[in-house]
Formats: sequence, structure tokens, C-alpha cells
Amino acid sequence: MIREVAWRLFAGEYNESRLEAGGGGDRAPTYVVTPLGARVNRLFAVGVLTDVENVGTDGQPMWRARVSDPTGTFHVYAGQYQPEAATMLSKIKPPAFTAIMGKSRTYTPDPGTVYTSIRPEMVKVVDAYVRDYWILEACRSLKQRLAAMREAQAMDPLTKDGLVALGYSEDVADGIVAATTHYGKVDLPRYGSLLAEALRYLLPEYRAFVEEPAPAARTPNAVAREKPKAADDVEDKVMALVGELDKDGKGAPWDALLAAAAKAGIAKEALEEAVNELLDKGLIYEPILGRMKKI
Amino acid sequence: MDMKDELEPHVRDIVRALGGKVSEQEVERELGNYLNVYRVSLDTAKRSIVKKHGGNPADLSLGVTKTVRDLVPGEQNVNLLARIVSVNEKEVETEGGSKAIRYGFLGDGTGTIPYTAWNPDGVELAKGDVVRIQNAYTKEFKGRVEVHLGARAVVTKEDDALLPAVEPSRAAPAGPATAAKVGELRERMGNVALTARVLSVEAREVKVDGEAKTVYSGVLADESGKVQFSAWKDFGLAEGDVLRIEGGYVKSWRGIPQLSFDERATVTKLAADALPPREALAQSPRMWIEDLAERGGAVDATVRGILIDVKDGSGLIYRCPECRRVLRKNTCRIHGEVQGLADLRVKAVVDDGSGALTAVFGKDLTELLLEKTIDECIAQAKEAMDQEVVRDELADLLIAQPVEIRGNVTSDDYGLMMIVDSARILKVDVQEEARAMLEELEG
Repeated sequence: MIREVAWRLFAGEYNESRLEAGGGGDRAPTYVVTPLGARVNRLFAVGVLTDVENVGTDGQPMWRARVSDPTGTFHVYAGQYQPEAATMLSKIKPPAFTAIMGKSRTYTPDPGTVYTSIRPEMVKVVDAYVRDYWILEACRSLKQRLAAMREAQAMDPLTKDGLVALGYSEDVADGIVAATTHYGKVDLPRYGSLLAEALRYLLPEYRAFVEEPAPAARTPNAVAREKPKAADDVEDKVMALVGELDKDGKGAPWDALLAAAAKAGIAKEALEEAVNELLDKGLIYEPILGRMKKI
Repeated sequence: MDMKDELEPHVRDIVRALGGKVSEQEVERELGNYLNVYRVSLDTAKRSIVKKHGGNPADLSLGVTKTVRDLVPGEQNVNLLARIVSVNEKEVETEGGSKAIRYGFLGDGTGTIPYTAWNPDGVELAKGDVVRIQNAYTKEFKGRVEVHLGARAVVTKEDDALLPAVEPSRAAPAGPATAAKVGELRERMGNVALTARVLSVEAREVKVDGEAKTVYSGVLADESGKVQFSAWKDFGLAEGDVLRIEGGYVKSWRGIPQLSFDERATVTKLAADALPPREALAQSPRMWIEDLAERGGAVDATVRGILIDVKDGSGLIYRCPECRRVLRKNTCRIHGEVQGLADLRVKAVVDDGSGALTAVFGKDLTELLLEKTIDECIAQAKEAMDQEVVRDELADLLIAQPVEIRGNVTSDDYGLMMIVDSARILKVDVQEEARAMLEELEG
């Protein structure tokens, strides 16, 4: 059995995945297929661990951690079957640069809704250099997929054989065909700007937009850009929405929150940021994946 | 009916595997159903029926005789009538220690296929023999089907006249040779032509079929990589020569392609400036693990990746003074309880985003990475009363770190392995690389 490669993949791409493939045979591995066609069984991610908590019980702990990269947040779950990773997670004091290697997982609470997460095999606290190096690797990987998808979109009809003839490996070709079949024509400019944004994140000259000079000891937080003054208002609104939309006591579903926020003029990015802040402040929590609840 | 006669032994085989708890009539009906209605293979049908009735498919003993060309990966109970084309022996490391196995090619009128015999003791395998093989199984490795002879395999010698002689896959050079770069050489290529510089060469005496021969071996290189070679004739090769070789053929050693050429090849010396100078070609090419996997291995490759795991058996270990096997609880599997010799090593997994390989670092490199001598490690373990402290320290130091490693890469059923010659924690200027990529992106 040849070891599955560990993909370097941004949360911004991984979390957009809605397709799981493989698992045909008894022991065939399953893959999460991203909109750009990465077939991910294992991934390696480095980001800022912003919070970790036991969402299980004392007897059967299930550690849930959130790890942010410049494009989004990975959800990491480790329970009794990942004892080493769970122990490591439970000891980390956020915020901390953290490397995670693990298996791709999806959760489908109802048809049409898919949440992605990572089941860690390895968890380790690292330094800023390892995180920056990872961003660079993830950028290279994303750039390759963008180029391949661009060529694929120019093909008519798109076939696996055609891609192989262009020099792509069978695995890459399989991924692109599966992604295109499932997601339709992918918005490449969007992922192009995600790539540029991630690269700029590494470069000090692009940090100039920060209004106030950054404090000397910059908090090592991936989402620690200076917060606009309006952010607190957004947080208040989101907090209210979380309360309103929690109709069954199990928490406000993310989709409903997203829709309501859009109506209230809150962009998805601003909503995510506000939710992260509220989670960090301990004002809301996620009782199950994809639900937000007031504490 | 022919079909029925042919199936009858299989029906009995299924009934026997189920301990007689299902009747022959019932089995026959089900087998017919699987074969005619669902149209699965006989092998699959038999296994499914046994499983369905709560039996163990491994209890089936009668396989289906197949031809080499029909074999697909993942078959059980494979029966073959084949001629042994070649027999080689090697030692492999298994969970239970090292073990001698035999491997080579076998073939029939439809083709040849690699085989591996895991328990060669009770099995007679001689080059050229026609044999009947029962209860073998197949696997896929690097896109090719292989036959495996496991504990249940039975091999019996058959009449030589049953099969035609199998021609070795290496055809004598005829017609124009195929041009290739060193990096493009693949196992079993015949009649290749390439231009390369001799980086090293030495003469060795070897015995081939009891006859003493001189073989000239060393390393050749061009811009695309390096390859070990064996010349079976004295072509007067000297270090630094640039050669045009036509009519070479490629074998592999543990997955690394190796070039051989003999009196049938044409070897011409070219001008010294036909290729970049020696120093430039002696550099280790940087390669992606994906490409190494496709090639099967490489001489002196450099890989950049993340060290993602430090495996069990890393750190401070003790070896048998007789055979160098790693001891468990001061005991050698072969030589019993012995006074072990201390050694240091790291068995790591390095992943570069395109693939993963096992990287083995020996004592000197491990000391360098730890910035500690083996004696200091022994003292540390004594103080902690735990040998594992050294491994823990290595894991702490190395896991999740970007590394650059250089060495020979081999491959087997478990994937790629690099015996690391040199290694360093990789420090790159992230900002500079990010800036270059951004400029390229924005045009």
C-alpha cells in the first residue's frame, strides 16, 4: 500500500468541497474532491490554532480545534481513536502556530450540506517560519491546480484522456474531471485572488494598509489584521441573529445565519470574522459542527 | 454440457469450503446465477458464495487456471502453467525481521510477468523449468500486475514440452536505437541510445555462470540525472569521457534503473565539451517524489519536503554484533541473547506535497541533527531509564520541519526509500519566493 500524499491546501479551498469520492472497494481510500480537483485523503496544514475545547464528555473526550490560515479556518476533531493527537491538542494554549497532518473528513447533517474537517494523525506546535513556509507551499500547490483547471476549461469536450495527453498524471486528470462534473465551471478568478491574497500575506509591503502602526510585539494570530471600528456593530448584529435563528435549541444553522447576514448587509467574510471573534470571546459556541449557539 | 463439467470441481470446492453445510445443487444453482446473470468472474463468484454462507474464502483451494495476459490485480487462488524465465534471490526486511525471498519473471505463450516467492524453501524454482503454480495471488505494483507465491502456493514441475521457450524480454539490438536522456531511462527498456559523461568507472571481476568476467561499472550523467552502468566489454572508458552509447538496455536494482551494455552496443567517444563539465553534472538533481515514484528510484537525488513522521525504531537502537539486526529486549532473532552494539538512526517519512518517501538517516547524520554524540545519547537514555527519550527528542526537533535530503532512492512494495547521504533543515527566504510568485501571477 503506497502512502497517501499529504496535500498542502488552503482552508479557503478545502472548505468549499462538497464532493466525496472513492471508497468503492473494501479498503479503498476515500477522497474529498475540492472545486479545483485536488483529491484529498490526507492533508498537511499549518496555521494559528485559535481555540480548542472538549466537545465530548470527560469520559469520552472529543477535542475540537480551529486552525486559521490566511484564507479560512480548518476544523480539527480528535477523539479516542487519535489519542496522541487528542492529547497534544488538549495541551496547546491558543493562540499558537500549529502544524496538523491528518485525514480528510466530511460531515453531512442533511442532504446538500457538507462540512469538511480534519481528523489529525499528528499535531505539533511550530514557529512562524514553518507557518510561512507552509503558506508558500500551499500557494505553489494552488497555482498548479489553477493552471491545470484553466487548461481543462479550455478543452471541449473535457476528457480524462485529453488531460493525460496534455501531460497531466492520471490522478490529476481524475480529480479535474470529477470536480468539473460535480461543481460545474469553477470560478477561477476567485481562486486566483485567493492565491494573490495568500502571497501578499507573506509580504511586509502589503501590510501597509493597517491604519494604526502594528504593535511591536505583533500577536501571532493569522486573523489579527486591524479590526475596523464597525466590527463591533457587526458582532452585535451577528450575536442577535444567532439568538433569533436558534429555533430548536440546537443552535443557529450556518446556512440560515449566512442568509440572514446577507439580508442585513453583512458580507460572508465579515460574518466569518465576527463569528470567529464571538467564538474567541466565548460568547457563542458550536455545539455541533455547523451550528452556532449563545452561551 | 461442457460448462457444467468444467464447473463441477469448483462446485465441490465451494461445498468443501463451507464444510458441507450447503448442498451441491444449491451451490451449483448459485454459481450459475453469479456467472450467467451477474456475469462476475469465476473467482469472485466462488468467494462471494462462500462469504454469503458464512464461510472463509481462504478455505477455497481450487483456483482457475489462467494465462499471464489474463491476470488482473487482486486475484486470489490463481493457477498458472508457466515457464520460469529468471530466478533471483534477495533479503527483505519484514515485520518479523529479514527474510530471503526469490523473485524474477515467469511467462507463457501470452506474455511474461514478475513474480515473488515469499517462502522459497518448499518451492522448487529453476530457471527454464515449466511449472504448474496453484494458489498464487496477484497484486499491482507501479501499474503492473505481479504474481505472488505466499504460504499457500504449491509449485509442481511439469513436462517441458507443455509450453514454448520464453524469449528473454531483452531483444538484441536491431534497427535504430531509441534516444533517451538519463532521466528518462526506465526498467526493461531495450536498445536505447544516449549521450552521457562518465563520472566514475572501475573494473570488477565477477562470475557469470561459473565463468570469470570483467565488468566495468560506475556512474554516467547528463543534464537530466545520473545512472549507474555496467559495461560487459572493455570499451576503454575513463572518468570524464563523453560517450555516445547505442544499443544499451536497462535493468533495475530495487527500482533504480541501471544501464547495461555489451559487445553488441556501439560506444563512441565525443568531444569533451559535448556536455556540461563534470562538476556541473555531478550535482544532485532536485526531484519531486512523484517523479521518483514513476521512475522507480534514482541515483543521488535531492528532495525538499516536510518531515512528517519519525517512525518506531528511530533514535538509540542496539544491534546484534554478529549480523547487525536490530535487537528486541537484548535478543537477536537469529543469535539469541547478545551484548548489543549501540547505534543511532532516524527512519522518517518525508512528504513534498507530490508524494511521500521513507528516509533513513544513519548514525553520523543523526548525531549531526541532534548536535550530540552517540555516547551522550547513551548517557541521556541511562539517566531517563528509557531508550525512547532519544526518539522523542528527534521527533520534537524534526517533525513538521522543512528539510532538504540527498541520497539514493530505491523502491519496493512498501514504496520509496532514500538512504540519506546529506541532510539539512531547509531555510528559504519565504518573502523573496512569495514576491517572485506574485510578480509572475500579476504579470
